[in-house]
Amino acid sequence: MNISQPLYNLILFVLLAGLLYFLFRPTKGWFWIIQNSVRTDQKTITEDILKQMYTWENQGVDIFKEDLIKSLKYSDGTQEDVLETMEKSMLITQTEEVLELTRSGRSYAIKIVRVHRLWEKYLAEKTGFEKSEWHHRAEKMEHRLSHEETNILATKLGNPMYDPHGDPIPTHEGDVLDIEGESLAELDVDTVGKIVHIEDEPDVIYQQILAENIHIGSQIRVVENSKQRVLFYSEGEEFVLAPEVAKNITIQVFETEVVFEEDAVRLSSLKKGEEAEIIGISKEFRGDGRRRLLDLGFVKGTPIKIDLVSPLSNPKAYLVKGTTIALREDQAAKILIKKR
Amino acid sequence: MVNLNCSKMKNEVENIIGLSNELRWKLGGEFHDHISESIYADASEIVEETVNTAGKKGRNAIDVKIDQIVTSRKWGFPIMFLILGVILWITIIGANYPSSLLAELLLDTIHPALKSGANSIGMPWWLSGFLIDGVYLALAWVIAVMLPPMAIFFPLFTLLEDFGYLPRVAFNLDYLFKKAGAHGKQALTMSMGFGCNAAGVVATRIIDSPRERLIAIITNNFSLCNGRWPTQILIASIFVGAIVPEALSGTAAVFAVIGIAILGMVFMFASSWLLSKTVLKGQVSTFNLELPPYRPPRFWKTLYTSLIDRTLIVLWRAIVFAAPAGAVIWLISNIMIGDHSIAYWMIDSLNGFGWLIGLNGVILVAYIVAIPANEIVIPTVLMLTVLVTGMAGGAGAGVMFELDSVNATGDILRAGGWTLLTAINLMLFSLLHNPCSTTIYTIYKETKSVKWTAVATLMPLAMGFVVTFLVAQIWYMFS
Repeated sequence: MNISQPLYNLILFVLLAGLLYFLFRPTKGWFWIIQNSVRTDQKTITEDILKQMYTWENQGVDIFKEDLIKSLKYSDGTQEDVLETMEKSMLITQTEEVLELTRSGRSYAIKIVRVHRLWEKYLAEKTGFEKSEWHHRAEKMEHRLSHEETNILATKLGNPMYDPHGDPIPTHEGDVLDIEGESLAELDVDTVGKIVHIEDEPDVIYQQILAENIHIGSQIRVVENSKQRVLFYSEGEEFVLAPEVAKNITIQVFETEVVFEEDAVRLSSLKKGEEAEIIGISKEFRGDGRRRLLDLGFVKGTPIKIDLVSPLSNPKAYLVKGTTIALREDQAAKILIKKR
Repeated sequence: MVNLNCSKMKNEVENIIGLSNELRWKLGGEFHDHISESIYADASEIVEETVNTAGKKGRNAIDVKIDQIVTSRKWGFPIMFLILGVILWITIIGANYPSSLLAELLLDTIHPALKSGANSIGMPWWLSGFLIDGVYLALAWVIAVMLPPMAIFFPLFTLLEDFGYLPRVAFNLDYLFKKAGAHGKQALTMSMGFGCNAAGVVATRIIDSPRERLIAIITNNFSLCNGRWPTQILIASIFVGAIVPEALSGTAAVFAVIGIAILGMVFMFASSWLLSKTVLKGQVSTFNLELPPYRPPRFWKTLYTSLIDRTLIVLWRAIVFAAPAGAVIWLISNIMIGDHSIAYWMIDSLNGFGWLIGLNGVILVAYIVAIPANEIVIPTVLMLTVLVTGMAGGAGAGVMFELDSVNATGDILRAGGWTLLTAINLMLFSLLHNPCSTTIYTIYKETKSVKWTAVATLMPLAMGFVVTFLVAQIWYMFS
């Protein structure tokens, strides 16, 4: 090749750049795919099967071998082999084509679920990964942490009870709490409650919920519930969801004596000149950011108002306890206030 | 007996732990949050009751007035750019005078005096060459070129900081930086980088969010620093100024340099975005920005601290790195392998690659040996050009020099085979290459991580190669 031919050089460069892109682009890069498939072994497949069966058994579904094999992304032959080994090692039993978890299979599955949820909690509290990434990362990590490592992780996180989606984390003895609540899609109009769980699977629906800016821990009141849509009111804003999406949100319905904080709105809705009082910080505001906010005086009962708006309208600076503190729009959406 | 007690106790402990685990479930998930929040709320209540604040509460009326102007839609941005422009202008123009004084003293007076002194005591040529032409000259050069702009830029910048204006700049610009996954305060560290990247890296301490701080550190090098402004201005006035009518040449050169600086900001935003979406996405990210009340700057204290804390520390680090660089420059030009010096062989072997990216071997060797300070790149280039072309002029092998006349400098460079392409690519490469060793060392000190130091060093270099390669190849295609 002659280096004095610019056109060839440019073409070569573009090809090389393209190759590198396809090799290393995030998640879909060939390099990562190959790395993943190398890491996938008997153990991973076994654990994925156990988890899937555990989920279905909890829903009270009969597990047909065919359905199970179809639901997982591994090749049919491999799964057949793994299922056979699992039966031999007494993790599952098989009658006809229906599979069932044994006692030890069930407790193994619970351990995997524990690691998964603990890791999601870890990602939420101690790292900066986006919400939408937690699940995928935990899916990988659940196969890697040993029992001891899991317990150390749990201690470091202060033995949390719920993962960031509101799912209970099994204890290391294997006890699992049930989530008390009903699906949002099944609630009557005027029901008042609190969002306690947002299901992170399937991905497509979870992304829609994330895009709506719905927060776990928020109080809601159902305004309309029909076959076409579910409309509810929360934190001063109106949300409309397809029933398909609403199905994945679990609400803990309040008894009559709990007062619905009808006038609690998000700080992001405060306008210049209005005065308000802080009610609290949403559960979605996690980790260091949350502690910092408390340090700065964003606590219940503190008066707050807008001091300055930046030329590009975001961030806004708020006057809290005589100090001017700027917050971004998405942060302000996670602080609840009561307008005066 | 003792054993029995022990096991009994163990049993009891286990029982208690078991009970506590059981009870924890009854408390509900938000228990921790409630406790910590009520502690904070109680604390603020106690403060309210017991602490008396002198004077009236709330914000000072003058502060509010100033804030309304400097953060307004209409005036916010113009005021900001005006202030930054004025500071840079004062620095670049104002530094010329003390710089030439220092150069006259250190380079034109003391250097020959040292040489003749060494000769008179009968010092062998290689020792005086190594010590005086190598080590001393590099030191003197770095001090003469670096000290005046820093001694002007840092106090001015620190005065603004002390006054309280800088957080407002971060506030105004935050939205743009947020789009790139960065923190508004990066606007400040970036501006500080226009003075000195090492100081810019130290300044990232004001960013308390780990991810955004790393982004600010890694991308600080895209701010054209004081060591690179003179190179840009010199090359732009020789080559870019020459392609337009005489009357416009000054303006064209200025616009070319400003264009490079703006290109640097574009690269800063683009790579911030890229970093935050890829390698840095797992780092914790938080945001909050306090806008403190304004106060009259304490002039003398500011002057003192900015000179001691910023200027002298940075200068010291530069000197520590510049001395060995001077030695290396002298050595490679004077140690012979076969018929030629090491420098010649290096240049010869890098010429091919240099051609590929529109530069030449001399420039690449100069950038390798001048890693300690961008200030000595041009003197090294001139010395090496004279050395390899064998033309008359210069001050001898391994003795860096610079000419007072822009035209004479241009003549040497053209004789070294420079074209408009070489000039443009040098300007691009001067913007997009590894940070100087002072900055690299500072990055390591700040991050305590070899990994991030390597990323900060190699990423801009790779970008520089790609950009100059593309420009060169497209240029060759059309010429």
